[in-house]
Amino acid sequence: MSDAVTLSLAEPPTQALIADCIAADRFAGLDAKAIAELPVVHGGRPGTLGEFFKVRGGHSSVVRIEGDLPQVEAIGAGMAGGELTIDGSVGRDLGLAMSGGRIDARSHAGDNVGGARPGAARGMTGGEIIVRGNVGDEAGARMRRGLVVVTGDAGRGTGQGMIAGTVVLLGKAGPGAGRFLKRGSIVALAPIDRPGTFRYACTYRPPHVGLLLRYLRGRAGAQIADRYMAGRYERYCGDLAELGKGEILQWAGE
Amino acid sequence: MKINGVAIADTFAEAFTMRVARIVITGRTVKWAREAATKLTGFATSVIGCKCEAGIERELAAADTPDGRPGISVLFFTMDKQSLPEQLIVRLGQTVLTCPTTACFDGLPDVPDRLAIGKALRVFGDGFQASKVIGGKRYWRLPVMEGEFLVEETFGMLKGVGGGNFLILADDADAALAAAEAAVDAMTSLPGVILPFPGGVVRSGSKVGSKRYKSMVATTNDPFDPTLRAITESQLPDGVNSVLEIVLDGTDASSIEAAMRAGIPAACLPGVNAITAANFGGKLGPHHFHLRKILA
Repeated sequence: MSDAVTLSLAEPPTQALIADCIAADRFAGLDAKAIAELPVVHGGRPGTLGEFFKVRGGHSSVVRIEGDLPQVEAIGAGMAGGELTIDGSVGRDLGLAMSGGRIDARSHAGDNVGGARPGAARGMTGGEIIVRGNVGDEAGARMRRGLVVVTGDAGRGTGQGMIAGTVVLLGKAGPGAGRFLKRGSIVALAPIDRPGTFRYACTYRPPHVGLLLRYLRGRAGAQIADRYMAGRYERYCGDLAELGKGEILQWAGE
Repeated sequence: MKINGVAIADTFAEAFTMRVARIVITGRTVKWAREAATKLTGFATSVIGCKCEAGIERELAAADTPDGRPGISVLFFTMDKQSLPEQLIVRLGQTVLTCPTTACFDGLPDVPDRLAIGKALRVFGDGFQASKVIGGKRYWRLPVMEGEFLVEETFGMLKGVGGGNFLILADDADAALAAAEAAVDAMTSLPGVILPFPGGVVRSGSKVGSKRYKSMVATTNDPFDPTLRAITESQLPDGVNSVLEIVLDGTDASSIEAAMRAGIPAACLPGVNAITAANFGGKLGPHHFHLRKILA
């Protein structure tokens, strides 16, 4: 048993590498050899994790991944617990359908962060993902519970079809954020395009936002200015084409 | 034993086990947090008549509260585990939920015994309420006319200690009051302790039951009433013309001991004849606070 499992990128993939075997809770029961033998798919062909990563440590649910991984997909898919830190950028499907634990990506991430598997009704159902950079399209799409934090900009369709949960965006968001949202919250600290099916409710100081941002600053070390903690937010209810019990909270000043 | 010439009786205060919750109320300013806390802890001096005992534990700086706003910590006691949630749901719903700008958090987060207080209060939202999980804890957002009321879903419950006490026996009422005020000042804001009576002081200490009225569970403590010295089995020394009592409830025995250690010496002022304590021969409760042992 070690304090942490470390995966160091040894052989950068030349094509998309689907590494949905990487999940912090799964590593808790495996030694380094067993982790290296976990299956991956590289360019549509089967392989093992050890062909691409040097594995150190084992039997730990604290996992660190070293290297820049823009072509590595589905890291943390189905993760149910533990802590996973990624030093570089990652590809699409980070934290796909995860249900617990924390993922901390120290750089950019691709599409569908915390999203759903193809054809599935629900994306992530619990846990926390923080991306300290930009994300692609549909971050938090169809999420049922949990928290996705993006410190940079987000692509199109952020939080699309959310059932519940929270997405916090420190940067800008592309069009279509919150479309088909049933419940759940999108907290936007920068300007955000809202679908026409959201309706303005009021401008106020939502007490849970201060609590949440304070938690993120403390627990995740996120750089969030005081003005956002106690600031005023415009509340837009929506998506009124759906259940309409969700919201976009847009920062409106101190 | 004497402190500043004041005799410390060789006796003990007898206390009993209670159930306790710690409520952290925050507000836009400390004024509003205190307004809510004051209402919440109103009419909560003794379980004899109020069914609960409560008081302000201390003021919290913004840096010490979950949401970074100034706050007040309240300790809330009942005799059994069933009545604690009942009292809290009713009182929080009428005093903190109603108070502008406030939010309400659990002050015993590591305690495994949980009370679903916020979960019960959420129905005030009439279906418009929403929950958020932040850092593994669930909070309820209740829409109100002002904006939103935020309350934690569950609150921790501990076994606490109620009924710690000491009596200030003084030459006259002014000296007793001055000593009591000094003791309260010394004990106020100590962690884990509240003084549930008005200003922290009781003038009407009671004995268990009644000599005359069967329905009364508590009546005047006639052995310590100076006006009855001539007609009852008085326990008052000569020269004592007024007695005040300090009652303490705490999250544990050590908190009460620490408060008594601070409060009793502070009460030993000119005009005070002796410090003693109320007990019932060990029949009332399992917690015995021996004055001389605490002060040694």
